[in-house]
Amino acid sequence: MFGHNFKCALKTLFKNKVLLFWTFAFPIILGTLFHMAFQDIESNETLDVIDIAIVENESWKENKILSHVFDELEGDLFSITYGSEEEAIALLNDHKISGYLILSDTLKVVVKENGIDQTVLKFVVEEITETEEIMKQIAFRNPMKEESFYQNLYSMIGQIQNENKVELVDISNQNLSYTMIEFYTLIAMTCLYGGMLGLYVVNQNLANQSHNGKRIAVSPTPKWKVILSSALAGYVVQLVGIALLFLYTTFVLHVDYGNDILKVIFLTLMGCFAGLSMGIMIATLFKVSENTKTGIIIAFTMLCCFLSGMMGITMKYLIDKNIPILNLINPASMITDGFYALYYYDTFSRYYFDLMSLFLFSLLMILLSIRSLRRQKYDSI
Amino acid sequence: MKKVIEVKSLTKEYKGLRAVDDLSFDVYSGEILGLLGPNGSGKSTTINCLLSLLKFQTGSIQIFGKSMSPTAYEIKKQIGVVFQEVAVFQELTVRENIEYFCGLYIKNKKMRNEYVEEAIQLVGLEEFKKFYPKQLSGGLLRRLNIACGIAHKPKLIFLDEPTVAVDPQSRNHILDGIKRLRNEGATIIYTTHYMEEVEILCDRVIILDKGKIIASGTPDELKELAKIEEKVSVEIEKISTEKLEEMKRFKNVDDVKYIDGILVVTYQKGKNNLIHLIDYLKKENLQYNKIYSERPTLNDVFLELTGKELRD
Ligand SMILES: Nc1ncnc2c1ncn2[C@@H]1O[C@H](COP(=O)(O)OP(=O)(O)OP(=O)(O)O)[C@@H](O)[C@H]1O
Ligand SMILES: [Mg+2]
Repeated sequence: MFGHNFKCALKTLFKNKVLLFWTFAFPIILGTLFHMAFQDIESNETLDVIDIAIVENESWKENKILSHVFDELEGDLFSITYGSEEEAIALLNDHKISGYLILSDTLKVVVKENGIDQTVLKFVVEEITETEEIMKQIAFRNPMKEESFYQNLYSMIGQIQNENKVELVDISNQNLSYTMIEFYTLIAMTCLYGGMLGLYVVNQNLANQSHNGKRIAVSPTPKWKVILSSALAGYVVQLVGIALLFLYTTFVLHVDYGNDILKVIFLTLMGCFAGLSMGIMIATLFKVSENTKTGIIIAFTMLCCFLSGMMGITMKYLIDKNIPILNLINPASMITDGFYALYYYDTFSRYYFDLMSLFLFSLLMILLSIRSLRRQKYDSI
Repeated sequence: MKKVIEVKSLTKEYKGLRAVDDLSFDVYSGEILGLLGPNGSGKSTTINCLLSLLKFQTGSIQIFGKSMSPTAYEIKKQIGVVFQEVAVFQELTVRENIEYFCGLYIKNKKMRNEYVEEAIQLVGLEEFKKFYPKQLSGGLLRRLNIACGIAHKPKLIFLDEPTVAVDPQSRNHILDGIKRLRNEGATIIYTTHYMEEVEILCDRVIILDKGKIIASGTPDELKELAKIEEKVSVEIEKISTEKLEEMKRFKNVDDVKYIDGILVVTYQKGKNNLIHLIDYLKKENLQYNKIYSERPTLNDVFLELTGKELRD
């Protein structure tokens, strides 16, 4: 009976076009779009660089991060003249520069008039100051390889350049981690969307949720066998989908997931399991139409992915910094962060923490649904 | 006769609504028992309670002499159910659907394949084996629904309005199939609100209203309850009230009604009632189009017992 039901569940899933779209096609399409967007950025025409001056006082010379950042931006976003404050003021008065920067306690921007250049300048400086703050915190809390630290830094620079629609130069030979994070969230999204598969098959097995469920419930096949085999089928299809996504992003889009393949696989397996158990929870706990349930999964997944940086990496940093508690209940951020930790950190404690969080999340989902999964007789169907 | 089902004082309440009210009845081996009742009378609820899908407040249910429960797999093996709603997988073909549901009962693959083919023949879907449910018409879909429920050759079959929204041709096909199942030895519980079906199909009928049994017996026994033996309907343009009153005083006449251009005269008993009526109409020079005489139907029984029509 187990095999019979498993086979049937596989067949129904592989023939359900809507489900296959969301779990197979959509992630691949989205991945392609991401890829195109980044390529686009790379081939964009360069905007005119903004002429600025930086006051080279003691604090500036001491601040390694900032000087590094502006070195990177030199020639690309800014054309920078270094000198004393007097020189800077003179340049500003002669309209030779749009503004100048001076670092004391904070990084100050001095401008004379208002215009696009000035706005961009102010925005970038704000962005950099914020990033610098986060970088310091990260460096303080997590021991990182120096290489990784700069990787991170580059990624932020990339981000800043991106947001200002400026040509993105390939700073190192590796892909920018900005892109990487997007693809990590894409994997997270696919894991969670996989919940739809679990939702669908389990829904078909519950007498209070579907007509097929009633038919199955009156048969002499024990309920646990039916549900377990269906959930397993959902999991298998989910894994096929995510394997395709991995193959596609690795070989066609050249995304690099790091070298520890086993850990990557393990994290993905756990992520899929979290998605599956979330799907089952939604299947059992809500008594609404199947389409509504699918809608709930899509909405929840998108929210989770947004909060873990899918639509802009800044979100991830903002949440890491301000409301880290959200990461403890957001499965997408656990998955994204797991990949991130694998790629950037020497130690695995953060990775294992993410893995553990995913496991606990899945466990919670299953505990929530177990009561209604075990129910055999209903008050109303 | 052997009892297959024994239901004792079954009561089922949904939040505040008593859908089944102290119901007791038996089902005997080899019969087709009709559960007849208007919409909302509790037919489906009764069946779902019998199948241990629904919790109920009081009552006991024995099937094949054993107490029924969700884990009574030995009992469940011998039961087949066709629910009121079509329950099939949209992603599976006609054959795959039947095979799947049959597989929940029959492990042996060879035997299963034979059973599936037989079920396809029984409902006449030979030409549609490879079709998906959404490619089937309503009637064909109902046939598939039935095949999925009975392919494993159950000894006891529940059919909950299997012919609802089905054209007469499909319906006859379905009814023939059900008779064949009975002839092969199955016991059948058949719910419907079409009395015509009950009259041609059922050995015994239970009439339900508001969750209670209001009458039971063979179709003929029930018709006795209607206290009428003949019903004559005449299509007639117009007729005066005096004449209606006059007709009420005729011999054997139970009642005379004139509604929407149709004159209905019901007789308690007697012979030659129709001829007398025609003579009268001629004598009074009343022009009529059509005239026909009927035996009372279960609808009349229902009307007599509850004062309302079975179907609205
Ligand atoms: N899930 C439910 N929750 C609450 N009330 C219900 C539920 N299902 C049925 N009922 C009510 O119980 C009563 C009996 O319904 P049931 O479906 O058993 O009737 P039925 O005889 O099968 O009618 P039909 O001919 O329309 O199928 C109705 O009044 C109905 O409104
Ligand atoms: Mg019903």
